[in-house]
Amino acid sequence: MGLLGDRLFKVALALGALWICLFPTLVFSQAPFYQGKTITIIHGRDPGGTGDMRVRALLPFLQKYIPGNPTIVNEYMPGGGSRKAANHIYQSARPDGLTIGNVSAGMVSLAVLGESGILYDLDKFFYLGSPYSAYHAVFISRKEAGLSSIDKLRAASGIRIGAQSVGFSTYNEGRLFAYLLGLKEPKFIAAYSGAELDPALMRGEVDARATGADTVVQRNRDWLEKGLVDFHAIMETPKGDKHPQFPQLPEIESFARSDRDRKLVILQRAFRVTGAPFILPPGTPKERVEILQEGFRKTYRDPEFYREYKKLTGDEPSPLLPEAHEKAIREIPREPEVIEIFKKLVGAGPLPPR
Amino acid sequence: MEISLFDAAAQGLMNLMQFKVLFALLVGVSIGTFTAVAPQGIGMPLVYAMLLPVVIKWEPLTGIALLIGASSVSAICAAYLPVLFGIPGGGGSQATVLDGYPMGKRGEARRALGASFMAGGMGCLIGTLTLVLAIPAARPLIYLMGSPELFVVMLWGLSMVAVLSGRRPVKGLIAAAFGLLLATVGQQAQSGVMRFVFDQPYLLDGISISIIALALFGIPSALDLALTRLGVEQQPAPLKGSLFDGVKDSLREWWLVVRCSFVGVWVGIVPGLGSQVVDWLAYGHAAQTCKGARESFGKGDVRGVIAPESANDAKDGGDLITTLLLGFPQGVVTALFIVALLAWGFLPGPEMVKKNPELIYSIVWIQGIAGIIGTLVGFVLSGQLAKLAELRYTFMVPILFLFILMGAFSVNRDPVDLFVVVSFGILGYFMRRFGYPRPAMILGLVLGDLMEKYLYRSMMAYGFSWLLRPAVVVLLVLAMASFVLTLRGRLKGGEGGGVSLGRRDGGS
Repeated sequence: MGLLGDRLFKVALALGALWICLFPTLVFSQAPFYQGKTITIIHGRDPGGTGDMRVRALLPFLQKYIPGNPTIVNEYMPGGGSRKAANHIYQSARPDGLTIGNVSAGMVSLAVLGESGILYDLDKFFYLGSPYSAYHAVFISRKEAGLSSIDKLRAASGIRIGAQSVGFSTYNEGRLFAYLLGLKEPKFIAAYSGAELDPALMRGEVDARATGADTVVQRNRDWLEKGLVDFHAIMETPKGDKHPQFPQLPEIESFARSDRDRKLVILQRAFRVTGAPFILPPGTPKERVEILQEGFRKTYRDPEFYREYKKLTGDEPSPLLPEAHEKAIREIPREPEVIEIFKKLVGAGPLPPR
Repeated sequence: MEISLFDAAAQGLMNLMQFKVLFALLVGVSIGTFTAVAPQGIGMPLVYAMLLPVVIKWEPLTGIALLIGASSVSAICAAYLPVLFGIPGGGGSQATVLDGYPMGKRGEARRALGASFMAGGMGCLIGTLTLVLAIPAARPLIYLMGSPELFVVMLWGLSMVAVLSGRRPVKGLIAAAFGLLLATVGQQAQSGVMRFVFDQPYLLDGISISIIALALFGIPSALDLALTRLGVEQQPAPLKGSLFDGVKDSLREWWLVVRCSFVGVWVGIVPGLGSQVVDWLAYGHAAQTCKGARESFGKGDVRGVIAPESANDAKDGGDLITTLLLGFPQGVVTALFIVALLAWGFLPGPEMVKKNPELIYSIVWIQGIAGIIGTLVGFVLSGQLAKLAELRYTFMVPILFLFILMGAFSVNRDPVDLFVVVSFGILGYFMRRFGYPRPAMILGLVLGDLMEKYLYRSMMAYGFSWLLRPAVVVLLVLAMASFVLTLRGRLKGGEGGGVSLGRRDGGS
């Protein structure tokens, strides 16, 4: 009996070993959920722009770092400043971890400011981070306007400040600069496209504008080389992140006179820092959220991703990790009085009194 | 950094050297040829309306190759219907019927077609060369054209409504006003105010112009084709004679070709004229200046084919001068082309000359190459194309409906778009039936948003003093002069194209 038992034990052991060799995944682990699956990324924009390129830079790395190496495809759902895509992700997309949204930062600010057409709750999405979060806005005036210092800016009345449409971040920043710098009855002229605004500034149709520091460095080098514009102030996002080209410019928060002023800057920074959020619909199983968050985390840390991103977009990435993203959303100031004054500040009417 | 125009021209050509761009050009040429030859009902506005939702998702150059390839060739091959069936061709080839059909019945159809292809090809090249010469002249405009000047240019374009409406100016104004009203749907850029949105996310960005154009031109045309059953009863003229006799005719009458080509370019540049008058103006010019025309015109004189066809093809070059260099459309086709350019992120006008000169030259190259290919296609495939002209409506109508619905759905993949396309299609059918010009509505829709922005910016930047800016005054005088002259010519000319537009909207 002892011998038979021993033999049986050996046979059983051998069969077990054979089973392990033949079907290792069945024995040790389940196949990764994403193996053989397709993830759809729904963009809240048209294809082909910088936003699209930012996502495309991520794709090969996501595919590499999400266990199971799923196929990833893109769908485009432009409309309403990403409202349409965000509404779709929130209301209609299946929460199975196979649909990811990538929307503009407007999706965050529109919800916080309570704009129309919002059918989603910002706090119920799962966040997967953003490939960029740093931004430096500068306030500039054309040299010929003779506004070479902040004192001259303040002394002049009715400065014409050009901007894109109401609701655009650069419009908000132009208003914020004008408000905190204490300009006298500035006149805001919106409704320019990005391509129209710089020529309008050079032509003298507008006197000043807010723009991205990187945009000036990359696309308007002649402004710097020929001294065609005066630089007055900068808004750093995140706070304290100095721009290498403009380290000497005063930061806009230094012009804040009250706690309320500071909260307005913090709110605008919070909108900027969320970048172009990757989101998952509410109800997505927690373990799939974690798998995806880890995939994004590894991607954002891969030096090769930095090279690919720079190659496709021309910009340096400044990734926001998933946990930092969730924190940034949580910490957005939402006190009604701050929101109320911010809405007046970035609206179409005159600037609110300080 | 700005590049020289020579470099831009070279770069523009180099950019075309991609398989997909050349392939798209050939597909465009095929579509244009088919459109020109197949039974009436498929005009270029319909083709553009159907292609637009698809191509705006492509890379710009590939989409442009398809669109320009189609429109450029459709004019060259437009003589089939007039010559073989005695049916006035699409816009721009209506006068060809006067001498083309008698030639066809006389057994000289091939000769008439040969003359038409050759004159058309020559006209296309002359129009394209004029466009090339106009580009350097447009560069200084960049520094002159601010929001006030652009507003006046848009106003000039909108003044076309009066002409598009022919003898029904009130209906034209109603249609244009409706277009302007539709352009206000969505968020107003300068105030952030939601207009006519009714809390519907679908309306936040306004209604897609490409869907409206598709509906207004697609569904009525398909219905019309089904109801009139064109292409069924006509017996074609025999395809006899020699193509090369026609080629020799065109070469012999080169001076007539040159003159009429410049008539075409002029018609293309002046707002308010268009393909509905270009052939008649050229035909009239030929009838007044050609020796013995009084006796022979209308009875099968080849010069009566050469004149309208060369002018019609040269007009496209003139159209592109105002569309690309000034930024306002000359008709439905160029309005839709502007919609496509805007969707790709280009703002036609002086800005585009400065920022995307290589793209403008690519368009010029495409226009020229398509003209040459179209001429060759006409020569090589004349027999086969003649058979296409006999295509039955029972084949065309379902295909058209299928493409219209697919095209509408492909814009946003939103089922609401299907409802919108059908609704505007029904509106378009009744507009056509009751003589409200649909091009006027499209014009109002395309120009409305731009005009509103330019006017707002002018007022905010300069107050009323913008009205006294020298360039504004010059442009206003030019606009008013061309408006008055065009309208006077139209009223003197009797029915003219206004009626044809009201009924068929075939203008480009």
